[in-house]
Amino acid sequence: MPTTIAHLIDDSSPGGVNRVLDHLLSSPMLGRIGQHEIVRVKRGRLSTPSVQADIIVSHLSVCWRNLPLLVGLRGRYADRPLIHVEHSYSQGFVAANVAKRARFHSLLRTSYSLFDKVVAVSEGQAAWMELRGLVPAGRLVTIPPCVDLAPFLRVPSKQSDTTRVFGALGRFDRQKGFDILIKAFRDARLEDAELHLIGDGPELARLRELADGDPRICFRPFTDEPAAAIASLDLVAMPSRWEPYGLVALETLAAARPLLCATRDGLGDHLRSGAFGVGGGSVSDWARALEAAQRRDWSFTLRRGRQAALQAEQRFAHRWRTLIEEHRRTTGERSAA
Amino acid sequence: MPKATVVVPAYNVAGTIAETLRSLLRQTLRDSEIIVVDDGSKDNTLEIVASFDDPRLRVVRQANRGLAGAHNTGIAHAASAIIGFCDADDLWEPQKLERHVEHLEANPDVGISFSGSRLIDAKGRPTGLVQRPRLKGITAAHILKRNPIGNGSAAVMRKVALDAMAWRPLHEHERDWWFDETFRQTDDVEGWLRFALTTDWRIEGIPGLLTLYRINPGGLSANVERQYQTWERMVTKLSAIAPDFMERHLPAARAYQLRYLCRRAIAARDASLSLALSRRWLSSSWRPLLEEPVKSLSTLGAAALLSALGDASYRRSEDLLLSARRRFL
Repeated sequence: MPTTIAHLIDDSSPGGVNRVLDHLLSSPMLGRIGQHEIVRVKRGRLSTPSVQADIIVSHLSVCWRNLPLLVGLRGRYADRPLIHVEHSYSQGFVAANVAKRARFHSLLRTSYSLFDKVVAVSEGQAAWMELRGLVPAGRLVTIPPCVDLAPFLRVPSKQSDTTRVFGALGRFDRQKGFDILIKAFRDARLEDAELHLIGDGPELARLRELADGDPRICFRPFTDEPAAAIASLDLVAMPSRWEPYGLVALETLAAARPLLCATRDGLGDHLRSGAFGVGGGSVSDWARALEAAQRRDWSFTLRRGRQAALQAEQRFAHRWRTLIEEHRRTTGERSAA
Repeated sequence: MPKATVVVPAYNVAGTIAETLRSLLRQTLRDSEIIVVDDGSKDNTLEIVASFDDPRLRVVRQANRGLAGAHNTGIAHAASAIIGFCDADDLWEPQKLERHVEHLEANPDVGISFSGSRLIDAKGRPTGLVQRPRLKGITAAHILKRNPIGNGSAAVMRKVALDAMAWRPLHEHERDWWFDETFRQTDDVEGWLRFALTTDWRIEGIPGLLTLYRINPGGLSANVERQYQTWERMVTKLSAIAPDFMERHLPAARAYQLRYLCRRAIAARDASLSLALSRRWLSSSWRPLLEEPVKSLSTLGAAALLSALGDASYRRSEDLLLSARRRFL
């Protein structure tokens, strides 16, 4: 009988989580190792859902409201491997959003200790968890997420080597730092450049205000075809204030477009795949980086990015398979005992 | 690997560095290294440092980069996991390094450990004034308003925590920056504040007045306006990084900053400047009056007294001033 794996998600899981799960469920490489099912759980519910699967993977948000649910899961399914994937938190998240940090670290330590394995979504996030002792020794694994990259890998290479259309895409939220990008773009000395902001969200009005009618800056609506959106740009910028992983980075590399990204949290992972890191995070750091990007010859790094994206798909499948197989064995041992 | 590194930025400090180094070599924690970063001194600072024969002491030389640049070079050369800063005219009490190392080792969430200071004059004599800052529950707002870390010789830090705020500007080819070298003043506050806003390490003080911080009279008020401009530049820079935070805390913080500069103008006996600054901080926010009424009122009173009496009479009323001066310096 194939191993069955239940993926628990709640209504407040970030949008990217659903896309990663879609990929997990449809990936032929992963389909062979077991049967996946998705179990939706209401945030903050106290009773644990009924799950028949051999292995339970939580994509739930770790918060005080969900703590009873997490404790309940551990109690009810004491004999099943319980894995948690941390999609939301990183050092940058805590710095920007959490006033009572010691209390929050305690929440994370308590919650993570309930699981047999905690999956970090980037090396940067894993390094933070390890340094701050958030996950018990030996229980941390790193599996960077992946989505179906085929549409991005099909994007034709750039025709010209000029960098004229700078762009950013994603939710217009304070997290994404598009406000920094607009200020930097207006501050930078660029030749014949445009800035395209693609998406929607609560920051739209504020971003428009910052753009102040600058004819070079345009706002384009949210699209459910991100590959086409990235294809229309000469360069993608990610000035995020925090980012546990950053799927847009992977998609940009797969589409063979130059990527400028902050170096914090999980974004640092993309530097070795050819992304150009912007440290410091200030407006002038970004302005100078935009100028340098326009002068830069990207041809070599773009090839490297596409290769890295191909490897990312394989790595995602391979690491999940290894993790599931390891726990399938322990399930077998437990039921034999 | 030594237990801790002390970085001593040195620029034309022949008059004071020997005493500073003696205080560092006398530390009860012996397992340390002391890195003097000579920031392009033109006096005989280097000869004086060379006259010390101690294997714990080494010198790194560089063309002048300013205080932040010297701190950064020191961090880049440090061999230890714990790094302290001591300016080349300040002194450390013998237990300081040991106490901070104990504090950091016992509290793995603390990234920056600091303590209070006694103020000494140009000749190294105690002035009777102290900095006794808030020690616990330090947030970015505290740093922006009152900077509890206090001075450049108070902090002892964890290297991995500092690394969370490091970056390499495009034009820099030698090493990373931790502190922003484009700031020639306020560079320490910019660093602490950016640390608090972009990392999740705790900043915490320990009891005791473990630093002897030297106050140099003269030239105070000439710099006031420039110092204020630099502070505003820091605010602009960090507002982009943490806009919500700045929006919330800036008016009160600006008032505190102007009050601080006002006290400096009073110390330099500049009556008109101190009055102008009093008006400016009151128009920014009344919070300092509510949060620290005694200190705020004595600053306002001293500014009024100075402009009413003039420099000479003000100087004559030393007795009257002494109590106020303890509060506003």
